Amino acid sequence: MKRSVEGVWAVLIILTIFAYLLGELKLVNTLLVGILLITTFIKGHLVIDYFMGLKNVQLRYSIIPTLWLSIVIFSISLAYYLPITIK
Amino acid sequence: MNKALSIKEPYPPGDFAIWIVIYIELVTFGLMFIGYAFSRRADVALFNNSQLQLNQTAGFIDTLILITSSYFIVKAVNSVKNARGAKIQSANNLASKWLLAAILLGLMFLVNKLLEFSAIFSQGISLSTNTFFMFYLLLTMFHFMHVALGTVILFNIYQRTRTSGYSADDSRGIETGGVYWHLVDLLWIILFPLVYIIR
Repeated sequence: MKRSVEGVWAVLIILTIFAYLLGELKLVNTLLVGILLITTFIKGHLVIDYFMGLKNVQLRYSIIPTLWLSIVIFSISLAYYLPITIK
Repeated sequence: MNKALSIKEPYPPGDFAIWIVIYIELVTFGLMFIGYAFSRRADVALFNNSQLQLNQTAGFIDTLILITSSYFIVKAVNSVKNARGAKIQSANNLASKWLLAAILLGLMFLVNKLLEFSAIFSQGISLSTNTFFMFYLLLTMFHFMHVALGTVILFNIYQRTRTSGYSADDSRGIETGGVYWHLVDLLWIILFPLVYIIR
């Protein structure tokens, strides 16, 4: 599916407003942090694909930032969701 | 499916050297993001209480600024990368306007961040206040330096568009500056929810 740059910009802005409202309205909870991290992944992926222009580049180049994004978001999720043991 | 449509470009946009820089920056910031997330586990209450002293609205405005400036850069690059012959001058004129708008947004980000730092320092907060502020100041100041450098790079590209310096045959420079700016945007897109929102 071909996306316009304007459409990508609009999605990024909407997801940013969503993140801000979660914080501002004190709605951040365990479930919504998961959704927030998913939307952050989507935003990062849109920037990589459509702003950095890696959507139409050979996989060996486009995969590196996407892998980086996946590892970072997954690690943040692990740090947030793994149970904390109190000594 | 049309086979011609599925052919991928052999190389990413811009100079290959900038991609080496980008990969290094991604690893550096990635480690700091993960370091922040796991350090938070050691004292969740401290991180949550310290986070309340941050200005979420300022962080939100910073995000809007960077996303929009990134969009302007895409428009600038698209203006010149197909420009040939008689269209080169008008394409560069258009690109210069998009670039100028992006530079102004970059400057707005820097001013907004300086105001935020000023408010933080006026509360007596420093790198050694606690682990949260150590990470907050390290991440945001390091990112601030990247935005400052990116703004200088954009200004140089802007000057070249004023002399119709880019065309379909020579758009590597504007693409290189562009991907660096998008890196700065990408890093902030993670930094904002991680440091300002998640608790």
